[in-house]
Amino acid sequence: MASGRARPQAQKSSAAEDEGMDPTQYYENRLKALAAQKVAGNNPYPHKFAASLTIPDYVKKYESLNSGDHLEDVEERLAGRLMNKRSSSAKLFFYDLHGGGAKVQVMTDARKSDLDEEEFTKFHSSVKRGDIVGIIGFPGKNSAKKTDVWVPGSGRNLETYILKDQETRYRQRYLDLMLNMEVREIFKTRAKIISYIRSFLDQRDFLEVETPMMNMIAGGAAARPFVTHHNDLNMKLFMRIAPELFLKELVVGGLERVYEIGKQFRNEGIDLTHNPEFTTCEFYMAFADYNDLMELTEEMLSGMVKELTGGFKIKYHANGSDSDPIEIDFTPPFRRIDMIEELEKVANLSIPKDISSEETNKYLADACVKFDIKCPPPQTTARLLDKLVGHFLEETCINPTYIINHPEIMSPLAKWHRSKPGLTERFELFINKHELCNAYTELNDPVVQRQRFADQLKDRQSGDDEAMALDETFCTALEYGLPPTGGWGLGIDRLAMLLTDSQNIKEVLLFPAMKPQDEPSTKDSNKKTQDEPPSEELKKNVTLS
Amino acid sequence: MEVALQPLRLRQLLHFASSKANKNPFIIRNIRPFFVIRCCSTTTSSSAATVDGGAPRQSGRNRRPSSTSTNSTSDREAVRTIRIKKVQELRSNGLDPYAYKWDRTHTANQLQEIYINLGNGEESNSESDYVSIAGRIVARRAFGKLAFMTLRDDSGTIQLYCEKEKLLSDQFEQLKTLVDIGDILGARGSMKRTEKGELSVCVNSFSILTKSLLPLPDKYHGLTDIDKRYRQRYVDMIANPEVAEIFRKRAKIISEIRKTVESAGFVEVETPVLQGAAGGAEARPFITYHNSLGQDLYLRIATELHLKRMLVFEIVVEPKLMQPTFVLDYPIEISPLAKPHRRHAGLTERFELFICGREMANAFSELTDPLDQRERLEEQVKQHNKKKAVVVSEMSIAEDEDESADDSYNVTLDEDFLTALEYGMPPASGMGLGIDRLVMLLTNSASIRDVIAFPVLKTLQ
Repeated sequence: MASGRARPQAQKSSAAEDEGMDPTQYYENRLKALAAQKVAGNNPYPHKFAASLTIPDYVKKYESLNSGDHLEDVEERLAGRLMNKRSSSAKLFFYDLHGGGAKVQVMTDARKSDLDEEEFTKFHSSVKRGDIVGIIGFPGKNSAKKTDVWVPGSGRNLETYILKDQETRYRQRYLDLMLNMEVREIFKTRAKIISYIRSFLDQRDFLEVETPMMNMIAGGAAARPFVTHHNDLNMKLFMRIAPELFLKELVVGGLERVYEIGKQFRNEGIDLTHNPEFTTCEFYMAFADYNDLMELTEEMLSGMVKELTGGFKIKYHANGSDSDPIEIDFTPPFRRIDMIEELEKVANLSIPKDISSEETNKYLADACVKFDIKCPPPQTTARLLDKLVGHFLEETCINPTYIINHPEIMSPLAKWHRSKPGLTERFELFINKHELCNAYTELNDPVVQRQRFADQLKDRQSGDDEAMALDETFCTALEYGLPPTGGWGLGIDRLAMLLTDSQNIKEVLLFPAMKPQDEPSTKDSNKKTQDEPPSEELKKNVTLS
Repeated sequence: MEVALQPLRLRQLLHFASSKANKNPFIIRNIRPFFVIRCCSTTTSSSAATVDGGAPRQSGRNRRPSSTSTNSTSDREAVRTIRIKKVQELRSNGLDPYAYKWDRTHTANQLQEIYINLGNGEESNSESDYVSIAGRIVARRAFGKLAFMTLRDDSGTIQLYCEKEKLLSDQFEQLKTLVDIGDILGARGSMKRTEKGELSVCVNSFSILTKSLLPLPDKYHGLTDIDKRYRQRYVDMIANPEVAEIFRKRAKIISEIRKTVESAGFVEVETPVLQGAAGGAEARPFITYHNSLGQDLYLRIATELHLKRMLVFEIVVEPKLMQPTFVLDYPIEISPLAKPHRRHAGLTERFELFICGREMANAFSELTDPLDQRERLEEQVKQHNKKKAVVVSEMSIAEDEDESADDSYNVTLDEDFLTALEYGMPPASGMGLGIDRLVMLLTNSASIRDVIAFPVLKTLQ
């Protein structure tokens, strides 16, 4: 809200004086100032300020003003956070007021103020960068400088961020959101992705449901679960690793199209693509098979990318921010590759027909040795195949690609292929070499399902603790009859990473799991470390402005 | 779904103000970038989530009178054996007892609507009246050359009218010998309304899509064993079609809430379920362990649940609050996160909404003063540690861990949250709504287990 009466000039920043000082001292000063205000009967934490409009709306409303215009008859009331403070004299102060993803310059002139000069100077000296304020004044314009806004599907450059320090950005997300304007767009994009999926499924008569996060058996997938304990029931419970079995029970119950968007929990390491809790969407569709689901997936993802980005192609820094971004093309239909067939072709293998045999296990173990592909024990056939596919096939999947028809031994919940013995009707969707979706025609023969669980038990006994556990409740449900059903799962975090050009899953999680900090956070150590301005970059920004 | 959010983390996000929140300056005049919907549906509390497995309560809906178990174990095993033989027989006839897919043209309810004007005894068999449907057989009657079956799908029911002459080759025999109640069938045919007024698909061909191995609960008594209803929700849904309606309403309720907040400019976010420190001093948390971090983690809890139990008020007044009623301005002592009242010393700006004697929502002007907040949280930790010390000393005397372990968990000061407040939080208000209770109210359900598809139950002995 600049009146245009004086042009802002970079002057000695009064804020710099404070912020250059020892952080503990700064903190103590602020506490004293607060106490003084309270004693004087002022409430530094008022209950309410009546803003007349938001900052983005203000910017929109007055962006057509000409340079030098000032509407002194108009009163507007704005609220937000002061992110920058400059003064050209004790009678003239400039602030940047941030809010709702936009900012506006505030100019305040002693001659226009209700306060007398001395009060004016005193008041504005006490206002600090970071304060949340309400202001009342009239609109005006100096010069319009438009900054580029990031849009989904385009590249990002974290190097340009005001706050760069990763630890601080993830541990104190509120600072990240305050200082790096792009970050809010990342999380809005995430919300839009989820919202798109929801409306896509709602339009097709799917019912959104909630299934338990804590269960007596961690079923529906192969992963190490978190264990907890219910005190009153004195019962060991597992955090869910997938909602699959419950959702299929609901299809047995007659809910023909169901879906759930929610958190899953896996007790595994934290890295660039793994967080202990992550968000998935799973849906189940009676009377459909995996062919139907491949078409539906193409429709959903290409439609989403089109709606969010305006086209089918996105930019993604797959090789780090130093290299040029790659282009990923979501134009349907997606490429399909038959897992075993393609693996034999690409690696020049001839895998024995009976995939569950000892002979095959030996053959694949030898192949891994030959190509120098590491497969830590236990070397079950499923694990060996997984490594080979990872090496030869997944590496080729940059644009969205379906790898289809996995062997039964890799897919204990998928239905056997209607024409290819030993295989299942399953597909995984890979984009930029990472698995995004996993789907199949659901196995609904209870006798075969029990047999598959028994086979998994064998893998478990041979040391594969990621083999799937038998769920008797689920098998009983199948005996009541599960209609032919297609089931589908999508990793929301990974999709959000792709559409926001994020190479680290922490970029798309507001509060990612972080390793414990070295120093235990006692109250005193907190005072010294956490109250400092969060990084060198931030400080630099202040003193330079 | 993930509207269930952790309040402290959410407050840290208030910097993530939506640009549309204050769209209407006359309605929302101060800075409330977004409201906080804290739905309790997936927050957890290891003692609050307790469920009494026994003691069946009468549901509000018209359940059929109670009867004992519908099928004895021996009957059930006998049926299973016979049906497994039928599975084999189907396979040896070259038929698939577990089909891969079925293309249907209509749902049962769609047909009921389209042919609502078809008169009794009339048939509609032009090409466009040739339909395909699929669902579960819930009733059948067979006479010499005629059989009737009731097929139920997600939308409703329709009759299958099966005449021997109209069916392909030996399908009528197959129908009589291999199809049982409970099987999932796909059927094609034309439309007709019987003389008795029952809209029917006049079947030309059908296909068993999934052979069911277990008998459905007795058709006259339905499934009335309450425990079994919760343990095997799918059987409950097959036997009591109105159960599915509750979950449809539940989805609708959540969807409406979402639409309302989204249209006001709120951004839906996800905050962690697993946390490094226990979320509050008021409720006993679930504890788990992260292998690769080598660290205990706590599941987030619904913070205010236990506090309100301290209120004598609750016992005296709440049961009388039948119509939606706001109870205002709770004392500071039981509102550790609420802002002091601007006029009444000792009180906070807080309300709870009561309907039918139950708390539905809890909301307040958020405490934004970091020093005040620190004092209040420190006091909480102090109180907790006092209780804990007592428990620990009792434990060493009695060595009765199971009984007294209630308060033995660690509660630490949430420094991260306090630091966030020190950077400044705008004046804001937050609201939490219990979805389960709201669904109970709007579906006339007496037990929370009626509105949760798979409630936690005691282990079967």
